[in-house]
Amino acid sequence: MFKILKQVQDYAKGSFEAAKYIGQGLSVTFDHMRRRPVTVQYPYEKLIPSERYRGRIHYEFDKCISCEVCVRVCPINLPIVDWVFNKQTKKKELKHYSIDFGVCIFCGNCVEYCPTNCLSMTEEYELATYDRHELNYDNVALGRLPYKVTQDSMVTPLRELGYLPKGVIEPHDLPKGAARAGKFPEEIIKETEASK
Amino acid sequence: MNSGIDLQGSFIESLKDLGLPGDVAKAIWLPLPLLLMIIGATVGVLVVVWLERKISAAAQQRIGPEYAGPLGVLQPVADGLKLVFKEDIIPAKADSILFTLGPAIVVIPVFLSYLIVPFGQNLVITDLNVGIFLWIALSSIAPIGLLMSGYASNNKYALLGGLRAAAQSISYEIPLALSVLAIVMMSNSLSTIDIVNQQSGYGILGWNIWRQPAGFLIFWIAALAECERLPFDLPEAEEELVAGYQTEYSGMKFGLFYVGSYVNLVLSALIFAILYLGGWEFPLPLDKLAGWIGVSENTPWLQVITASLGIMMTILKAYFLVFIAILLRWTLPRVRIDQLLDLGWKFLLPVSLANLLITAALKLAFPVAFGG
Repeated sequence: MFKILKQVQDYAKGSFEAAKYIGQGLSVTFDHMRRRPVTVQYPYEKLIPSERYRGRIHYEFDKCISCEVCVRVCPINLPIVDWVFNKQTKKKELKHYSIDFGVCIFCGNCVEYCPTNCLSMTEEYELATYDRHELNYDNVALGRLPYKVTQDSMVTPLRELGYLPKGVIEPHDLPKGAARAGKFPEEIIKETEASK
Repeated sequence: MNSGIDLQGSFIESLKDLGLPGDVAKAIWLPLPLLLMIIGATVGVLVVVWLERKISAAAQQRIGPEYAGPLGVLQPVADGLKLVFKEDIIPAKADSILFTLGPAIVVIPVFLSYLIVPFGQNLVITDLNVGIFLWIALSSIAPIGLLMSGYASNNKYALLGGLRAAAQSISYEIPLALSVLAIVMMSNSLSTIDIVNQQSGYGILGWNIWRQPAGFLIFWIAALAECERLPFDLPEAEEELVAGYQTEYSGMKFGLFYVGSYVNLVLSALIFAILYLGGWEFPLPLDKLAGWIGVSENTPWLQVITASLGIMMTILKAYFLVFIAILLRWTLPRVRIDQLLDLGWKFLLPVSLANLLITAALKLAFPVAFGG
């Protein structure tokens, strides 16, 4: 007899607990309704890539000395350096240079090791094409500079999370001239020089 | 009792004054409420689909539909148009007659149930004296259509979904009917008008929700299960059953299921508002307030105000309940099929039975408060 009563009591208790937890869950969901979305509506709004963004590689043909260091440091020997040895001048003569961005993993080793700094990273990331062979950029395509998001009048540029003022997580409608959290490198240098 | 506005009577009278015979005037009146009902239900669905998408988006910190019309209000219209123009595919091995019949059987009873939803003393299509019973009877037709479409699709997911839908509808029909029965016992009538009138007079304090604290919870849980809303959306559980009985459907036949489920949700919310939240009643007793100010109940402008307030209150209450259903959708995980049947048969059924017995006892003990 008492066992059954105990069972009923436990069951009722369980039901009330379940109801309580459902109520708590509802309050969490309800609370989320007042948080604003941080959605970046892509083709109309774009995030500003950071300074060290590793996008499509830029290449300056005239600076290149055809040393092939980029090929050697590349994990898959991707850059193609087409040169011939000119016997008169006793120098390498560069014909073509190309990188296939369908295969490149944007590790940045070539940029790191290039002795003449003729390779560099851009902030371009919209590389979609209908044919994968179009991703094989030759020295002309590699020499083009991408259009900056901040200069595109069709696009609202938005700052990334690390570039927002302290405590702000919403990149929309920032006040003009709102500085990002922390100090800029030049400020740190100035401070260290002042303390010396 | 305040009779309120009699639209039918005055419409027929005004046509008679124009020189039409009474029968013709009545025949002209007849299709109007039906048309109004279909338009009202369809617009209600569009609003609910938009609300569902916007509230879901807000609960998940997204934006939701935005470009189709201001704030994306035209998004459901665009979706509906797309469904109308889509190719209507009947699978080669499916039973084409049952496959076509299924969605119709699911949708028609839901629309028919709108006949008994009152928006005011006379703002109802038919004041049947078996009103709420008609709703329960009609809602038990839907599982036949679901099972039919699931079986006729000749697809294992569709069949499983249809079977689950039938099992779920049948097991939640009983607690639903029992909790409605407790209300019916208190108001001594099955008519939806009488049920609302029985709650009127004391404003928010007179509503059945205070007299049926267990009943309204059982009703709401069972109604969610009947509508296949999220904690109980097993028949179309997309992770396991692709889309349940809707798997093989496309175009307008799928659209019928889609419309049917949302109309059913709005209908359940409306019925909940009528049974437990005082229907078209304002939270304050308006007719008493008018009496205190010294305005007669039969003043035309007061009647117009109370009638429009009544429609607004009914719709507001219903949409508040829809909002709760959407919030519940993003709060609760789906129950397993055995948990679903456990909850239905081992918890809701005994609790609703006990609720019915307690209501009966209270009605005998306190006939004043519990409608003797």
